[in-house]
Amino acid sequence: MKVKTTVNGQVYERETVPYKTLLHFIREEIGLTGTKEGCAAGECGACTVILNGKPVNSCLVLAVEANDAVIETVEGEGAGNELSDLQAAFERHHATQCGFCTPGMLMSIRDLLRRHPKPTVEQIKAGIEGNFCRCTGYVQVIEAVLDATGQSAKKGELKHVS
Amino acid sequence: MNRAFDYRAATSFSEALGWLAEMGSNARPLAGGTDLLVNVRAGLMTPTCVIDLKPIPEITTLSFDEGEGLLIGAGVTINEIIESEVIQQQYPLLAICAHQLASHQVRNRATVVGNIVNASPCADMAPPLLCLQAEIEIQGNDGARWVPCATFFTGAKQTILKPGELVSRIRVPAAMQGAKGGYKKLKRIQGHDLGIVGVALAALDSAVHIAVSSAAATPVLVKPFSRTDDLGTVVAAVCEAISPIDDVRCTKDYRLFMAETYVKRLWQEVVA
Ligand SMILES: Cc1cc2nc3c(=O)[nH]c(=O)nc-3n(C[C@@H](O)[C@@H](O)[C@H](O)COP(=O)(O)OP(=O)(O)OC[C@H]3O[C@@H](n4cnc5c(N)ncnc54)[C@H](O)[C@@H]3O)c2cc1C
Ligand code: FES
Ligand code: FES
Repeated sequence: MKVKTTVNGQVYERETVPYKTLLHFIREEIGLTGTKEGCAAGECGACTVILNGKPVNSCLVLAVEANDAVIETVEGEGAGNELSDLQAAFERHHATQCGFCTPGMLMSIRDLLRRHPKPTVEQIKAGIEGNFCRCTGYVQVIEAVLDATGQSAKKGELKHVS
Repeated sequence: MNRAFDYRAATSFSEALGWLAEMGSNARPLAGGTDLLVNVRAGLMTPTCVIDLKPIPEITTLSFDEGEGLLIGAGVTINEIIESEVIQQQYPLLAICAHQLASHQVRNRATVVGNIVNASPCADMAPPLLCLQAEIEIQGNDGARWVPCATFFTGAKQTILKPGELVSRIRVPAAMQGAKGGYKKLKRIQGHDLGIVGVALAALDSAVHIAVSSAAATPVLVKPFSRTDDLGTVVAAVCEAISPIDDVRCTKDYRLFMAETYVKRLWQEVVA
Protein backbone atom coordinates (compact mmCIF):
# COMPACT_ATOMS: atom_id res chain seq x y z
CA MET A 1 0.00 0.00 0.00
CA LYS A 2 1.15 3.53 -0.73
CA VAL A 3 1.72 5.86 2.23
CA LYS A 4 2.39 9.55 1.79
CA THR A 5 3.35 11.53 4.89
CA THR A 6 4.99 14.79 5.75
CA VAL A 7 7.75 14.24 8.28
CA ASN A 8 9.46 17.32 9.75
CA GLY A 9 8.22 19.37 6.79
CA GLN A 10 9.40 16.98 4.09
CA VAL A 11 7.02 14.85 2.03
CA TYR A 12 7.79 11.12 1.75
CA GLU A 13 5.93 8.64 -0.40
CA ARG A 14 6.68 4.95 0.17
CA GLU A 15 5.21 1.57 -0.65
CA THR A 16 4.65 -0.49 2.51
CA VAL A 17 2.88 -3.56 3.89
CA PRO A 18 -0.39 -2.83 5.78
CA TYR A 19 0.85 -4.39 9.02
CA LYS A 20 3.96 -2.25 9.44
CA THR A 21 3.89 0.09 12.43
CA LEU A 22 4.43 3.79 11.92
CA LEU A 23 7.55 3.41 14.07
CA HIS A 24 9.10 0.82 11.73
CA PHE A 25 7.97 2.84 8.71
CA ILE A 26 9.76 5.96 9.98
CA ARG A 27 12.91 4.02 10.87
CA GLU A 28 13.10 1.55 7.99
CA GLU A 29 11.31 3.11 5.03
CA ILE A 30 12.05 6.78 5.64
CA GLY A 31 15.39 6.11 7.31
CA LEU A 32 14.97 8.42 10.29
CA THR A 33 16.31 6.29 13.14
CA GLY A 34 16.12 8.87 15.96
CA THR A 35 12.78 7.47 17.13
CA LYS A 36 13.37 4.34 19.21
CA GLU A 37 11.58 1.09 19.91
CA GLY A 38 11.60 0.07 23.58
CA CYS A 39 8.61 -2.09 24.48
CA ALA A 40 6.60 -2.00 21.22
CA ALA A 41 3.47 -2.11 23.40
CA GLY A 42 2.61 1.47 24.33
CA GLU A 43 4.26 1.35 27.75
CA CYS A 44 7.60 3.14 27.51
CA GLY A 45 7.16 6.14 25.21
CA ALA A 46 10.54 5.76 23.45
CA CYS A 47 8.66 5.73 20.14
CA THR A 48 6.71 8.97 20.77
CA VAL A 49 6.20 11.13 17.68
CA ILE A 50 3.80 14.02 17.14
CA LEU A 51 1.08 12.90 14.72
CA ASN A 52 -1.19 15.66 13.37
CA GLY A 53 -0.31 17.80 16.38
CA LYS A 54 -0.68 15.12 19.05
CA PRO A 55 1.98 12.95 20.67
CA VAL A 56 1.30 9.24 20.16
CA ASN A 57 3.12 5.93 20.60
CA SER A 58 4.19 5.22 17.02
CA CYS A 59 4.53 1.51 17.90
CA LEU A 60 0.72 1.41 18.25
CA VAL A 61 -0.10 3.17 14.98
CA LEU A 62 -0.02 1.50 11.58
CA ALA A 63 1.88 3.30 8.84
CA VAL A 64 -1.22 3.10 6.64
CA GLU A 65 -3.20 4.98 9.31
CA ALA A 66 -0.75 7.87 8.89
CA ASN A 67 -1.42 8.33 5.19
CA ASP A 68 -1.65 12.10 4.51
CA ALA A 69 -0.56 12.81 8.09
CA VAL A 70 1.84 15.44 9.35
CA ILE A 71 4.48 13.97 11.64
CA GLU A 72 7.17 15.47 13.83
CA THR A 73 10.11 13.42 15.08
CA VAL A 74 13.23 14.21 17.08
CA GLU A 75 15.08 14.94 13.81
CA GLY A 76 12.91 18.06 13.52
CA GLU A 77 14.43 19.47 16.72
CA GLY A 78 17.38 21.75 16.03
CA ALA A 79 18.70 22.65 12.59
CA GLY A 80 21.75 21.00 11.06
CA ASN A 81 24.29 20.73 13.86
CA GLU A 82 22.52 23.34 16.00
CA LEU A 83 20.69 21.92 18.99
CA SER A 84 17.16 23.12 19.74
CA ASP A 85 16.56 25.10 22.94
CA LEU A 86 15.25 21.94 24.57
CA GLN A 87 18.12 19.74 23.40
CA ALA A 88 20.65 22.30 24.65
CA ALA A 89 18.93 22.38 28.04
CA PHE A 90 18.99 18.57 28.14
CA GLU A 91 22.73 18.67 27.49
CA ARG A 92 23.37 21.32 30.17
CA HIS A 93 21.42 19.39 32.79
CA HIS A 94 22.66 15.88 31.98
CA ALA A 95 19.05 14.98 31.19
CA THR A 96 20.38 12.46 28.69
CA GLN A 97 22.47 9.54 29.86
CA CYS A 98 22.14 6.45 27.65
CA GLY A 99 19.83 8.58 25.50
CA PHE A 100 17.39 5.87 24.54
CA CYS A 101 14.37 7.63 26.02
CA THR A 102 15.44 11.11 24.87
CA PRO A 103 13.88 11.29 21.37
CA GLY A 104 10.46 10.32 22.75
CA MET A 105 10.90 12.49 25.84
CA LEU A 106 11.68 15.51 23.65
CA MET A 107 8.54 14.96 21.57
CA SER A 108 6.33 14.76 24.67
CA ILE A 109 7.93 17.90 26.07
CA ARG A 110 7.64 19.75 22.74
CA ASP A 111 3.90 19.02 22.87
CA LEU A 112 3.70 19.98 26.57
CA LEU A 113 5.29 23.37 25.83
CA ARG A 114 2.68 24.07 23.15
CA ARG A 115 -0.06 23.41 25.70
CA HIS A 116 1.76 25.01 28.65
CA PRO A 117 4.56 27.39 27.58
CA LYS A 118 5.72 27.76 31.22
CA PRO A 119 4.85 24.43 32.79
CA THR A 120 4.91 23.85 36.53
CA VAL A 121 6.83 20.87 37.93
CA GLU A 122 3.50 19.01 38.27
CA GLN A 123 2.63 19.76 34.64
CA ILE A 124 6.06 18.55 33.51
CA LYS A 125 5.62 15.32 35.48
CA ALA A 126 2.19 14.78 33.90
CA GLY A 127 3.60 15.64 30.46
CA ILE A 128 6.26 12.92 30.65
CA GLU A 129 4.04 10.37 32.42
CA GLY A 130 4.16 8.14 29.34
CA ASN A 131 7.95 8.32 28.90
CA PHE A 132 10.07 5.94 30.94
CA CYS A 133 13.69 6.78 31.68
CA ARG A 134 15.81 4.11 33.32
CA CYS A 135 18.88 6.32 33.77
CA THR A 136 18.29 9.86 34.95
CA GLY A 137 15.65 9.47 37.63
CA TYR A 138 13.71 12.27 35.84
CA VAL A 139 14.99 15.09 38.08
CA GLN A 140 17.43 16.29 35.45
CA VAL A 141 14.73 16.18 32.79
CA ILE A 142 12.42 18.34 34.92
CA GLU A 143 15.25 20.81 35.58
CA ALA A 144 16.09 20.97 31.89
CA VAL A 145 12.50 21.86 31.05
CA LEU A 146 12.38 24.51 33.78
CA ASP A 147 15.63 25.96 32.43
CA ALA A 148 14.51 25.87 28.79
CA THR A 149 11.37 27.78 29.76
CA GLY A 150 13.24 30.47 31.70
CA GLN A 151 12.21 29.17 35.11
CA SER A 152 15.67 28.37 36.47
CA ALA A 153 17.18 30.85 38.94
CA LYS A 154 20.39 30.80 36.92
CA LYS A 155 20.65 29.52 33.36
CA GLY A 156 22.48 26.22 33.34
CA GLU A 157 22.45 25.90 37.13
CA LEU A 158 22.86 22.22 38.06
CA LYS A 159 20.49 21.93 41.02
CA HIS A 160 20.73 18.19 41.34
CA VAL A 161 24.50 18.14 41.94
CA SER A 162 24.71 21.16 44.23
CA MET B 1 7.27 -6.88 13.45
CA ASN B 2 3.56 -7.62 13.38
CA ARG B 3 2.30 -10.82 11.80
CA ALA B 4 0.77 -10.16 8.38
CA PHE B 5 -2.76 -8.81 8.00
CA ASP B 6 -4.67 -6.76 5.49
CA TYR B 7 -6.03 -3.26 6.11
CA ARG B 8 -9.27 -1.70 4.91
CA ALA B 9 -10.50 1.80 5.67
CA ALA B 10 -14.30 1.91 6.10
CA THR B 11 -16.08 5.11 5.16
CA SER B 12 -19.50 4.11 6.55
CA PHE B 13 -20.92 1.70 9.13
CA SER B 14 -22.74 -0.23 6.39
CA GLU B 15 -19.47 -0.74 4.53
CA ALA B 16 -17.71 -1.95 7.71
CA LEU B 17 -20.64 -4.24 8.59
CA GLY B 18 -20.59 -5.68 5.05
CA TRP B 19 -16.89 -6.50 5.29
CA LEU B 20 -17.33 -8.04 8.74
CA ALA B 21 -20.13 -10.26 7.40
CA GLU B 22 -17.98 -11.26 4.43
CA MET B 23 -14.83 -12.08 6.42
CA GLY B 24 -16.35 -13.39 9.64
CA SER B 25 -14.05 -13.75 12.63
CA ASN B 26 -10.97 -13.20 10.45
CA ALA B 27 -11.71 -9.48 10.45
CA ARG B 28 -11.39 -7.11 13.42
CA PRO B 29 -12.56 -3.52 13.75
CA LEU B 30 -9.77 -1.04 14.47
CA ALA B 31 -10.33 2.16 16.44
CA GLY B 32 -7.32 3.58 18.33
CA GLY B 33 -5.52 0.25 18.20
CA THR B 34 -4.19 0.50 21.76
CA ASP B 35 -5.66 -2.88 22.67
CA LEU B 36 -5.91 -4.44 19.23
CA LEU B 37 -2.33 -3.85 18.09
CA VAL B 38 -0.93 -4.92 21.48
CA ASN B 39 -2.97 -8.14 21.25
CA VAL B 40 -1.92 -8.80 17.66
CA ARG B 41 1.72 -8.34 18.52
CA ALA B 42 1.37 -10.68 21.51
CA GLY B 43 -0.29 -13.28 19.28
CA LEU B 44 -3.53 -13.14 21.31
CA MET B 45 -5.50 -11.98 18.28
CA THR B 46 -4.76 -13.12 14.75
CA PRO B 47 -6.98 -11.16 12.35
CA THR B 48 -6.27 -11.54 8.65
CA CYS B 49 -7.79 -8.10 8.10
CA VAL B 50 -8.30 -5.01 10.24
CA ILE B 51 -11.15 -2.68 9.38
CA ASP B 52 -10.32 0.89 10.31
CA LEU B 53 -13.43 2.70 11.55
CA LYS B 54 -11.74 6.11 11.88
CA PRO B 55 -12.57 7.29 8.33
CA ILE B 56 -16.33 6.97 9.09
CA PRO B 57 -17.35 10.65 9.42
CA GLU B 58 -20.00 10.39 12.14
CA ILE B 59 -17.81 8.53 14.64
CA THR B 60 -16.22 11.79 15.76
CA THR B 61 -19.58 12.92 17.24
CA LEU B 62 -19.32 14.38 20.71
CA SER B 63 -22.48 16.37 21.35
CA PHE B 64 -24.95 17.28 24.06
CA ASP B 65 -28.53 18.46 24.03
CA GLU B 66 -31.39 18.35 26.49
CA GLY B 67 -33.31 15.78 24.47
CA GLU B 68 -30.64 13.29 23.42
CA GLY B 69 -28.27 13.82 26.32
CA LEU B 70 -24.56 13.27 25.71
CA LEU B 71 -23.59 11.32 22.58
CA ILE B 72 -20.10 9.85 22.28
CA GLY B 73 -19.21 8.47 18.84
CA ALA B 74 -17.03 5.39 18.39
CA GLY B 75 -14.04 7.51 17.37
CA VAL B 76 -13.99 9.84 20.38
CA THR B 77 -10.70 9.54 22.22
CA ILE B 78 -10.08 9.58 25.96
CA ASN B 79 -8.29 12.93 25.70
CA GLU B 80 -11.25 14.42 23.83
CA ILE B 81 -13.41 13.46 26.84
CA ILE B 82 -10.97 15.21 29.19
CA GLU B 83 -10.89 18.35 27.02
CA SER B 84 -14.65 18.61 26.44
CA GLU B 85 -16.17 21.58 28.29
CA VAL B 86 -19.66 20.14 28.38
CA ILE B 87 -18.30 16.96 29.95
CA GLN B 88 -16.25 18.89 32.50
CA GLN B 89 -19.34 20.87 33.47
CA GLN B 90 -22.21 18.39 33.15
CA TYR B 91 -20.62 14.93 33.44
CA PRO B 92 -17.41 15.54 35.42
CA LEU B 93 -17.12 11.86 36.46
CA LEU B 94 -16.33 10.92 32.83
CA ALA B 95 -13.42 13.36 32.70
CA ILE B 96 -12.15 12.32 36.14
CA CYS B 97 -12.03 8.64 35.13
CA ALA B 98 -10.60 9.41 31.67
CA HIS B 99 -7.71 11.14 33.41
CA GLN B 100 -6.87 7.90 35.20
CA LEU B 101 -6.58 5.89 31.97
CA ALA B 102 -3.07 5.15 30.66
CA SER B 103 -0.67 7.91 29.56
CA HIS B 104 -1.15 11.11 27.55
CA GLN B 105 0.11 9.43 24.37
CA VAL B 106 -2.20 6.41 24.74
CA ARG B 107 -5.15 8.70 25.58
CA ASN B 108 -4.61 10.53 22.28
CA ARG B 109 -5.45 7.29 20.42
CA ALA B 110 -7.56 5.17 22.79
CA THR B 111 -11.33 5.52 22.34
CA VAL B 112 -14.07 5.24 24.95
CA VAL B 113 -15.94 2.72 22.80
CA GLY B 114 -12.79 0.60 22.31
CA ASN B 115 -12.28 0.63 26.07
CA ILE B 116 -15.70 -0.88 26.79
CA VAL B 117 -15.70 -3.28 23.81
CA ASN B 118 -12.36 -4.63 25.03
CA ALA B 119 -14.28 -5.29 28.26
CA SER B 120 -11.36 -5.67 30.62
CA PRO B 121 -12.50 -5.91 34.26
CA CYS B 122 -10.18 -2.94 34.88
CA ALA B 123 -11.49 -0.73 32.04
CA ASP B 124 -11.48 2.76 33.53
CA MET B 125 -14.35 4.11 31.41
CA ALA B 126 -16.74 1.35 32.49
CA PRO B 127 -17.44 2.52 36.07
CA PRO B 128 -18.42 6.09 35.10
CA LEU B 129 -20.62 4.90 32.21
CA LEU B 130 -22.32 2.41 34.53
CA CYS B 131 -22.86 5.02 37.26
CA LEU B 132 -24.26 7.51 34.73
CA GLN B 133 -26.80 4.99 33.33
CA ALA B 134 -25.25 5.08 29.86
CA GLU B 135 -26.65 3.18 26.91
CA ILE B 136 -24.73 1.59 24.06
CA GLU B 137 -25.85 1.68 20.42
CA ILE B 138 -25.12 -1.58 18.59
CA GLN B 139 -25.26 -1.81 14.80
CA GLY B 140 -25.68 -5.06 12.94
CA ASN B 141 -26.69 -6.00 9.46
CA ASP B 142 -30.32 -6.06 10.58
CA GLY B 143 -30.34 -2.59 12.10
CA ALA B 144 -29.42 -0.73 15.26
CA ARG B 145 -30.46 -1.19 18.89
CA TRP B 146 -29.75 0.51 22.21
CA VAL B 147 -28.81 -1.55 25.26
CA PRO B 148 -28.09 -0.40 28.83
CA CYS B 149 -24.38 -0.38 29.65
CA ALA B 150 -25.34 -2.44 32.72
CA THR B 151 -26.16 -5.41 30.45
CA PHE B 152 -23.24 -4.94 28.04
CA PHE B 153 -20.51 -6.84 29.91
CA THR B 154 -21.04 -10.60 30.14
CA GLY B 155 -17.66 -11.85 31.38
CA ALA B 156 -13.94 -11.06 31.42
CA LYS B 157 -13.28 -9.58 27.96
CA GLN B 158 -16.80 -10.68 26.92
CA THR B 159 -19.71 -8.53 25.82
CA ILE B 160 -23.17 -9.05 24.39
CA LEU B 161 -21.89 -8.04 20.92
CA LYS B 162 -22.63 -10.77 18.40
CA PRO B 163 -20.09 -11.62 15.70
CA GLY B 164 -20.13 -8.98 13.00
CA GLU B 165 -21.73 -6.29 15.19
CA LEU B 166 -20.30 -2.86 15.92
CA VAL B 167 -20.79 -0.27 18.61
CA SER B 168 -21.59 3.05 16.98
CA ARG B 169 -22.33 5.40 19.88
CA ILE B 170 -22.73 5.75 23.62
CA ARG B 171 -25.51 7.87 25.10
CA VAL B 172 -25.44 9.31 28.59
CA PRO B 173 -28.95 10.46 29.52
CA ALA B 174 -29.65 14.17 29.90
CA ALA B 175 -31.25 13.27 33.24
CA MET B 176 -27.79 12.50 34.63
CA GLN B 177 -26.35 15.93 33.83
CA GLY B 178 -24.91 17.72 36.80
CA ALA B 179 -24.17 14.52 38.70
CA LYS B 180 -21.26 15.02 41.07
CA GLY B 181 -18.71 12.26 41.01
CA GLY B 182 -15.42 10.82 42.12
CA TYR B 183 -13.16 7.91 41.20
CA LYS B 184 -10.52 6.19 43.31
CA LYS B 185 -8.15 3.87 41.48
CA LEU B 186 -5.52 1.84 43.29
CA LYS B 187 -2.28 1.62 41.29
CA ARG B 188 1.27 0.57 42.07
CA ILE B 189 2.65 3.96 41.00
CA GLN B 190 1.33 7.51 40.62
CA GLY B 191 1.98 7.48 36.88
CA HIS B 192 0.23 5.37 34.28
CA ASP B 193 -0.69 1.89 35.45
CA LEU B 194 -3.64 -0.47 35.21
CA GLY B 195 -5.93 -0.45 38.23
CA ILE B 196 -5.72 -2.99 41.05
CA VAL B 197 -9.18 -1.97 42.20
CA GLY B 198 -11.26 1.10 41.35
CA VAL B 199 -14.45 2.64 42.73
CA ALA B 200 -16.54 5.31 40.99
CA LEU B 201 -19.44 7.17 42.60
CA ALA B 202 -22.00 9.52 41.05
CA ALA B 203 -24.52 11.48 43.13
CA LEU B 204 -27.52 13.33 41.74
CA ASP B 205 -30.43 14.64 43.83
CA SER B 206 -31.16 11.89 46.34
CA ALA B 207 -29.69 8.99 44.33
CA VAL B 208 -26.14 7.65 44.60
CA HIS B 209 -24.67 5.21 42.05
CA ILE B 210 -21.53 3.18 42.69
CA ALA B 211 -19.56 1.01 40.24
CA VAL B 212 -16.39 -0.98 40.84
CA SER B 213 -13.60 -2.04 38.46
CA SER B 214 -11.02 -4.86 38.82
CA ALA B 215 -13.05 -6.61 41.48
CA ALA B 216 -15.00 -9.22 39.49
CA ALA B 217 -14.98 -10.76 36.00
CA THR B 218 -16.70 -7.62 34.72
CA PRO B 219 -16.94 -4.04 35.93
CA VAL B 220 -19.80 -4.09 38.47
CA LEU B 221 -22.68 -1.65 38.93
CA VAL B 222 -24.05 -1.93 42.45
CA LYS B 223 -27.79 -1.37 43.06
CA PRO B 224 -28.64 2.33 43.51
CA PHE B 225 -28.44 3.93 46.94
CA SER B 226 -30.04 6.92 48.53
CA ARG B 227 -28.16 9.80 50.12
CA THR B 228 -29.85 9.01 53.42
CA ASP B 229 -28.63 5.39 53.47
CA ASP B 230 -26.40 4.37 56.31
CA LEU B 231 -22.75 4.17 55.14
CA GLY B 232 -22.25 0.81 56.82
CA THR B 233 -25.12 -0.66 54.80
CA VAL B 234 -23.71 0.85 51.59
CA VAL B 235 -20.25 -0.62 52.21
CA ALA B 236 -21.75 -4.04 52.96
CA ALA B 237 -23.82 -3.96 49.76
CA VAL B 238 -20.79 -3.04 47.64
CA CYS B 239 -18.68 -5.83 49.15
CA GLU B 240 -21.56 -8.23 48.55
CA ALA B 241 -21.87 -7.21 44.87
CA ILE B 242 -18.21 -7.72 43.96
CA SER B 243 -16.25 -10.98 43.82
CA PRO B 244 -12.55 -10.14 43.85
CA ILE B 245 -9.90 -12.84 43.42
CA ASP B 246 -6.27 -13.37 44.37
CA ASP B 247 -4.02 -12.74 41.38
CA VAL B 248 -0.54 -11.55 40.43
CA ARG B 249 -1.35 -7.97 41.31
CA CYS B 250 -2.83 -8.40 44.78
CA THR B 251 -4.91 -10.55 47.07
CA LYS B 252 -8.66 -10.82 47.29
CA ASP B 253 -8.61 -9.48 50.85
CA TYR B 254 -6.63 -6.39 49.89
CA ARG B 255 -9.05 -5.68 47.04
CA LEU B 256 -12.02 -5.97 49.39
CA PHE B 257 -10.33 -3.79 51.98
CA MET B 258 -9.50 -1.08 49.43
CA ALA B 259 -12.94 -1.19 47.81
CA GLU B 260 -14.44 -0.62 51.27
CA THR B 261 -11.99 2.20 52.02
CA TYR B 262 -12.68 3.92 48.71
CA VAL B 263 -16.46 3.72 49.14
CA LYS B 264 -16.13 5.38 52.54
CA ARG B 265 -13.82 8.11 51.22
CA LEU B 266 -15.96 8.84 48.16
CA TRP B 267 -19.11 8.98 50.30
CA GLN B 268 -17.42 11.50 52.56
CA GLU B 269 -16.09 13.59 49.67
CA VAL B 270 -19.05 13.53 47.28
CA VAL B 271 -22.21 12.68 49.22
CA ALA B 272 -21.78 13.84 52.81
C1 LIG C 1 0.35 1.21 27.77
C2 LIG C 1 -1.14 1.07 27.92
C3 LIG C 1 -1.73 1.43 29.11
C4 LIG C 1 -3.11 1.29 29.28
N1 LIG C 1 -3.65 1.67 30.47
C5 LIG C 1 -4.99 1.57 30.64
C6 LIG C 1 -5.59 1.99 31.86
O1 LIG C 1 -4.94 2.49 32.78
N2 LIG C 1 -6.95 1.84 31.97
C7 LIG C 1 -7.71 1.32 30.98
O2 LIG C 1 -8.93 1.23 31.14
N3 LIG C 1 -7.18 0.94 29.81
C8 LIG C 1 -5.84 1.05 29.63
N4 LIG C 1 -5.29 0.65 28.44
C9 LIG C 1 -6.16 0.10 27.42
C10 LIG C 1 -6.90 1.21 26.66
O3 LIG C 1 -5.95 1.99 25.97
C11 LIG C 1 -7.87 0.58 25.72
O4 LIG C 1 -8.83 -0.19 26.42
C12 LIG C 1 -8.56 1.58 24.81
O5 LIG C 1 -9.49 2.41 25.47
C13 LIG C 1 -9.23 0.84 23.68
O6 LIG C 1 -9.64 1.75 22.70
P1 LIG C 1 -8.98 1.73 21.24
O7 LIG C 1 -9.68 2.80 20.47
O8 LIG C 1 -7.51 1.80 21.31
O9 LIG C 1 -9.47 0.29 20.77
P2 LIG C 1 -8.87 -0.76 19.76
O10 LIG C 1 -7.61 -1.33 20.27
O11 LIG C 1 -8.88 -0.20 18.38
O12 LIG C 1 -10.05 -1.83 19.87
C14 LIG C 1 -10.30 -2.55 21.06
C15 LIG C 1 -11.17 -3.75 20.75
O13 LIG C 1 -12.49 -3.33 20.42
C16 LIG C 1 -12.80 -3.66 19.08
N5 LIG C 1 -13.50 -2.48 18.58
C17 LIG C 1 -13.00 -1.20 18.50
N6 LIG C 1 -13.97 -0.36 18.13
C18 LIG C 1 -15.10 -1.09 17.97
C19 LIG C 1 -16.44 -0.75 17.61
N7 LIG C 1 -16.83 0.50 17.34
N8 LIG C 1 -17.36 -1.75 17.55
C20 LIG C 1 -17.00 -3.04 17.84
N9 LIG C 1 -15.74 -3.40 18.18
C21 LIG C 1 -14.80 -2.42 18.26
C22 LIG C 1 -11.50 -4.01 18.41
O14 LIG C 1 -11.66 -4.96 17.38
C23 LIG C 1 -10.70 -4.57 19.56
O15 LIG C 1 -11.03 -5.89 19.81
C24 LIG C 1 -3.91 0.79 28.23
C25 LIG C 1 -3.32 0.47 27.02
C26 LIG C 1 -1.94 0.59 26.85
C27 LIG C 1 -1.33 0.23 25.54
S1 FES D 1 8.14 1.34 21.93
FE1 FES D 1 6.26 2.36 21.75
S2 FES D 1 5.76 2.76 23.80
FE2 FES D 1 7.52 1.52 24.00
S1 FES E 1 18.66 8.36 29.48
FE1 FES E 1 18.72 6.21 29.50
S2 FES E 1 16.63 5.71 29.55
FE2 FES E 1 16.59 7.83 29.78
